[in-house]
Amino acid sequence: MLFHTWVFLVFFAVVYPIYLVVRKYNRLMNLWLMIASYTFYFGWLWNPWYLLLLFGTSAIDYLMVLVMERSQKRKRLWLIIGLVSNFGFLGYFKYSGFITENLNILLGRLGSHWILPNPVAYANAALSLFGVPSSHFFSEVILPIGISFHTFQSMSYTIDAYRGNIQTERSFIRFLTFVSFFPQLVAGPIERASNLLPQLQSTPRITGEHITDGLSLFLVGFFKKVALADYLAKYVDQVYEAPGQFQTPALILATVAFAWQIYFDFSGYTDMARGIARVMGFRLMLNFNNPYAATGLGDFWSRWHISLSTWFKDYVYFPLGGNRNGTLATYRNMFLTMVISGIWHGASWTFVIWGVLHALGRIVTRDLERTRFYREQVPMFVKQILVFTFVTFTWIFFRAQSLADARLIVTRIFSSGWADPQIPLLMVTLVLAVWAYQLLYTNALTTRRILELAPVRVGLMILMITYLMIVAQPSTKAFIYFQF
Amino acid sequence: MVMPDTTRTNPSPPSEPEAPDFSNAIRLTGKEWIGVGIFTVALILGAAPLAERLEKFEVEPDYRMPYDLSNDYWLYERYSRLAASQYDTLIFGDSVVWGQYVTREQTLSHYLNEQAHEQRFANLGQDGAHPVALAGLLDHYAGGVTGKNVILQCNLLWLSSPKHDLQIEEEFHFNHPRLVPQFYPNIRCYKEDFSPRLGIAVEQRIPFLGWTTHLQQAYYDKTDIPTWTLDHPYDNPLQVLKQGLPPSDDTLRHNPISWTKRGIKKEDFPWVDPATSLQWRSFQRAVNLLQKRGNRVFVLVGPFNEHMLTDKSLNDYEKVKAAVTAWLHDRGVPYAAPPPLPSESYADASHPLSDGYELLARQLLELVSP
Repeated sequence: MLFHTWVFLVFFAVVYPIYLVVRKYNRLMNLWLMIASYTFYFGWLWNPWYLLLLFGTSAIDYLMVLVMERSQKRKRLWLIIGLVSNFGFLGYFKYSGFITENLNILLGRLGSHWILPNPVAYANAALSLFGVPSSHFFSEVILPIGISFHTFQSMSYTIDAYRGNIQTERSFIRFLTFVSFFPQLVAGPIERASNLLPQLQSTPRITGEHITDGLSLFLVGFFKKVALADYLAKYVDQVYEAPGQFQTPALILATVAFAWQIYFDFSGYTDMARGIARVMGFRLMLNFNNPYAATGLGDFWSRWHISLSTWFKDYVYFPLGGNRNGTLATYRNMFLTMVISGIWHGASWTFVIWGVLHALGRIVTRDLERTRFYREQVPMFVKQILVFTFVTFTWIFFRAQSLADARLIVTRIFSSGWADPQIPLLMVTLVLAVWAYQLLYTNALTTRRILELAPVRVGLMILMITYLMIVAQPSTKAFIYFQF
Repeated sequence: MVMPDTTRTNPSPPSEPEAPDFSNAIRLTGKEWIGVGIFTVALILGAAPLAERLEKFEVEPDYRMPYDLSNDYWLYERYSRLAASQYDTLIFGDSVVWGQYVTREQTLSHYLNEQAHEQRFANLGQDGAHPVALAGLLDHYAGGVTGKNVILQCNLLWLSSPKHDLQIEEEFHFNHPRLVPQFYPNIRCYKEDFSPRLGIAVEQRIPFLGWTTHLQQAYYDKTDIPTWTLDHPYDNPLQVLKQGLPPSDDTLRHNPISWTKRGIKKEDFPWVDPATSLQWRSFQRAVNLLQKRGNRVFVLVGPFNEHMLTDKSLNDYEKVKAAVTAWLHDRGVPYAAPPPLPSESYADASHPLSDGYELLARQLLELVSP
């Protein structure tokens, strides 16, 4: 159930009025939101197994925190059980195929005749233990949509409770709602219990500003997704599906287009998610803050997928030691965090390399970014271009369908001809307009003031609505990050 | 990476955040939203009528919708309105009325006009408009046809099998899915998802959406503008609008030779009983719709190529035809079920060739003349 489809409009038209009535009764409100969220999730694949998985991971985390509170001496054990179960589900559904495939290649190279079975065999073996006939067995392991998001959200609660940073949530229904809250269930922002749970514990206040802000957020997100991301995807897809047929300009422009596509796609989704939550009186965190206006790689990661980067910082980087144990250890911790972040995105070597490149980039530039020369002598626009260039280069590995394709693209960018890239001028114009807007918004207070003038804001909204209604074609193309 | 969130929580809701909440300045106040809302409503209500004034569209004699714009229902609505204002009798039907195997000067409407010695009949045939789609077309895109003489062609080919009757279980990509009822009655072979169905149902009722589809159909190679720019990367999309609408269709879609020369053999169609037929029920709906709008409806049953049927199939066909004409008779709907045309006047199971249309026109005028 995509936000920009008619079916979501119907769903929300049913959920919202009832929510407005029941929100004054906290138990009822949470129950209603939980039912709505589980319905929303069920609407993706009409598969009850995924509901069971969502319920199961939530229930385990809820229980672990309860027993942690009652048995302080063994709370580490309960934490480990919680983490193992979360990572177990995530590992099985997301990484088991990748691991099996690579282990089988390794075993083959070692001359072994032993081959690991398709991971679905383990699930089917478990089913057979319960007497389920083979006609009901699964044929493949299907990645449940948004598993990485809701698992991480649920896990953060367990870890924060273990650390004593949050109070134990006693209401099971409220906790289920926290994990499954439909605006951000399938692609974030990955909310912390410290932000969302207190909002679920009281009656959300809905003011006129919440409604207008929610509408603004939703419309901007809708425009990013439908008018920009889906449009860019058309060019990117045709180049990346057959990179051998394209030359340097097309490959470079398709990569730049993908950099914007993924930004518009993902930030568009979170804008819509935040907008929907806002009209319900909930405040979800800002997930993207003009990342292509970043002046350093550290700055980039404080602007890109903020809810995930802060998650990794809090639950991976700091537990590893952060920057407390000297330069070498800091670099090691940064490296590990970035590589794990890469793997989080998908079970493929391309994501690993993407993570490694960002880790290396961050390590190499960390000290440079701190120098007075970089901070004061290098013009801001130059820094922004440098960061954008590096980040865009890494997107090649993120988008390429395989490692071989990524290698081919990089090679061809530097060695093929200069054929006409045939990129639509309308596409280039739209991207340049958005880029210029972001730079004007972030780079100087004076230009930001101009953008904040009512005629400019209203004029832009009217332009976006007109474009959406006449030019753009609403599609049912899924969001890129749903696959993670 | 940003600094960690070290805040310990308390059960009370968080106060207004200090962290940035917006990444742009596009944040409208209530009054501004009202202004934008008024603009949006004006756009929805005003854009299509304005475009209609700016886009030249003249209905010349023997006009028929360009074949490539068969799915441009907004233009069809406009055409039906113009035709209703200029012609005495409008002929609705599928490609038999449109003239699949003939030029625009060899169609039924042309010969009717020629033999009546005046421009009375307008060709509102729509390629592929099976009765379920035709009823939708009349319902949503022919509202301007009121108080007119209407000839409604009933092509029994659409009852010639459960598949033609849209009664099969497996998915079948039939013509004009955007005209058929999206939810009720349920069409079993129509497997579209709920969301697109809802979108179509909305489009059927909001002319603005039909107009945006018209732009795509008429100017942008039947696709949305962004996709069009991929094939025309350096062209100005606005420039294309200056080309104007394509003229009336004067092309021959297929080689105009008879079915026997085509090598088509006699067929044994598994006819559907009209009592259970979705297509027939929809045809009945079309008749009712037109009558409710004050039109004087005359139904033309046929011209079906009975020569193409095996003896058994012909027998079944006669039963179907008898049931159809009985209903028309019972309802007091004037109709004609002329005898089949000569075998060589048919190009296939239902489409006449030029001489077939000429003969049919003569038969019809004789039938309706006092």
